[in-house]
Amino acid sequence: MGLYSLRRLLASVLTGVIASMLVFLLVRAVPGDVVAQMLGQTSDETAARTLRAFFGLDQPLWQQYLRWISQALQGDLGQSWLGGQAVGEKVGQAFLVTAEIAIFTLLAAVAVGLPLGMLSGIYDGRWGDLLIQGFNLLGLAAPVFWVGLMLLVFISATFGWSPPLIYSGPVDSLRDNLEMLALPVLSLGLLQAAACSQFVRQSVVSAFQQDYVRTALAKGVPVRSVFFKHILRNISITLITFMGLIFIQILGGVVIVESLFAIPGLGRLLLSAIEGRDYPVLQGALLVIMLCALVVNLVIDLLYRVIDPRVRLS
Amino acid sequence: MLFIGAGMLLLLLLMALLPSIFAHQSPYTIDVSRALKPPSAANLFGTDDTGRDVFARVVHGTGVTLAICAGSLLLAALVGGAAGALSGYFGGWLDQALGRLVDVVLSFPPIVLGLIVTGVLGPATRNLVLALSVVYLPVFFRIARSGVMVETGKTYVEAARSIGLSESVILWRHVLRNIAPLLCVQYVVLFPLILQIQAALGFLGLGVQPPTPDWGSILQQGKDSILVAPWLSLFPGLAILMASLALLLVGRSLQRVVDRR
Repeated sequence: MGLYSLRRLLASVLTGVIASMLVFLLVRAVPGDVVAQMLGQTSDETAARTLRAFFGLDQPLWQQYLRWISQALQGDLGQSWLGGQAVGEKVGQAFLVTAEIAIFTLLAAVAVGLPLGMLSGIYDGRWGDLLIQGFNLLGLAAPVFWVGLMLLVFISATFGWSPPLIYSGPVDSLRDNLEMLALPVLSLGLLQAAACSQFVRQSVVSAFQQDYVRTALAKGVPVRSVFFKHILRNISITLITFMGLIFIQILGGVVIVESLFAIPGLGRLLLSAIEGRDYPVLQGALLVIMLCALVVNLVIDLLYRVIDPRVRLS
Repeated sequence: MLFIGAGMLLLLLLMALLPSIFAHQSPYTIDVSRALKPPSAANLFGTDDTGRDVFARVVHGTGVTLAICAGSLLLAALVGGAAGALSGYFGGWLDQALGRLVDVVLSFPPIVLGLIVTGVLGPATRNLVLALSVVYLPVFFRIARSGVMVETGKTYVEAARSIGLSESVILWRHVLRNIAPLLCVQYVVLFPLILQIQAALGFLGLGVQPPTPDWGSILQQGKDSILVAPWLSLFPGLAILMASLALLLVGRSLQRVVDRR
């Protein structure tokens, strides 16, 4: 177990290093000279040269990368080129907002999707299953920003309510914070619940076709006992893997809903950094998203080994 | 289910290829006096903030949207499929290096990757196609790689080698033919996903530039007047939903056929 975990950790570190290079190169691929953009049309060559030297842009790419990554490993992601705020602080604040939405969405998706998928799988082929499958298909086909917009229209027209215009953290005002997150979590959560429900349904249906389930049912074990004592245990492993995958999908979806509902998370930070050619913030935000995905994948892999004795012993 | 999906897909293809049969009005004609009018007999889906007919824009946007998605996915399938086939067939350091790179690309949420590439290169149709193809290239890579690895272990490959055929002939003329159905099914299965990402990028202002109509950018234009003119967002969204649903139904049916084989 220790050797496997170490190997998995080293593989993640290697993937992280390659990903950081990709992040760095992607940002540097921005066309146009960022210094010329900053100085505008009245710039002179001396000022441009001084600014390039100040930002380290006159050095070779590999030196710029090494400088950036060595500082990042010490917790220093540099300073924003728009405003001068520490990138770590800016990205950290945005990350907390995004993480709050992502976690609530994951909980909502599993809370709704898991029981729907289980019911759908148990009553395979019946009306309830067909209705739930219809919901799943619509959820998989609907774009999240459209669902968010339609929910906003429906709720404001029906109940005369709309979310607050300015974001408040949970510490500042819990009520405003929850009101702000309600629509993003609802729109993203419903769609992810559909994906979760579909996955759970497929797992349950294929589990019911396994020999050990048929044997248990033939011996007269009630369906409920077979489901909760045998099937659920066996599908829990793939469920955990799936939850890891949908968390990464949710991170992507949160980027869109933040833009829609004007929430100051990583998504909005990315968009403003792209617009303003703020390299350090763009690199920092991408690095955090990439690290998140790596950590989630690593945790899932290690959990897999803990939960399934067949993986441990093989 | 397959017939329903295929029927919807056929309707969308007709709209994409012959939009003037469905929409007689121009999607570009501005008439500010008719701005933000609700749906009526004259304007089935209402008008936008510059008085343009939304129905015409949605119909003409069908071709633009589907062409961008089809082109991006084809590029991803060709490049990813070829790279995956080479990697799976020859193995070694090439397989290790490409595999690592693919793992890294797949660690990013697809929409974030598309957003970064389009944002970095700039909002132009060519850059949008490139960004979308980068998002799903790793998926085709993995499908092709695993497919080729399975085929390489089969007897016909051993027989081909024994009669002296070169490795490149075996790979491109024989092995690739057998994995082509897998790649084709994956093309259909991924289409609704890439459609949603393309629409999302359009919604974020990184899609096709105005005045060219595109479903995502029509939604983006309607975002600011959502409470006074919800039809601006309702109908393009329904178009995306309908197209995704059709593709999901067709993709699932194809997947079932391949799995049975």
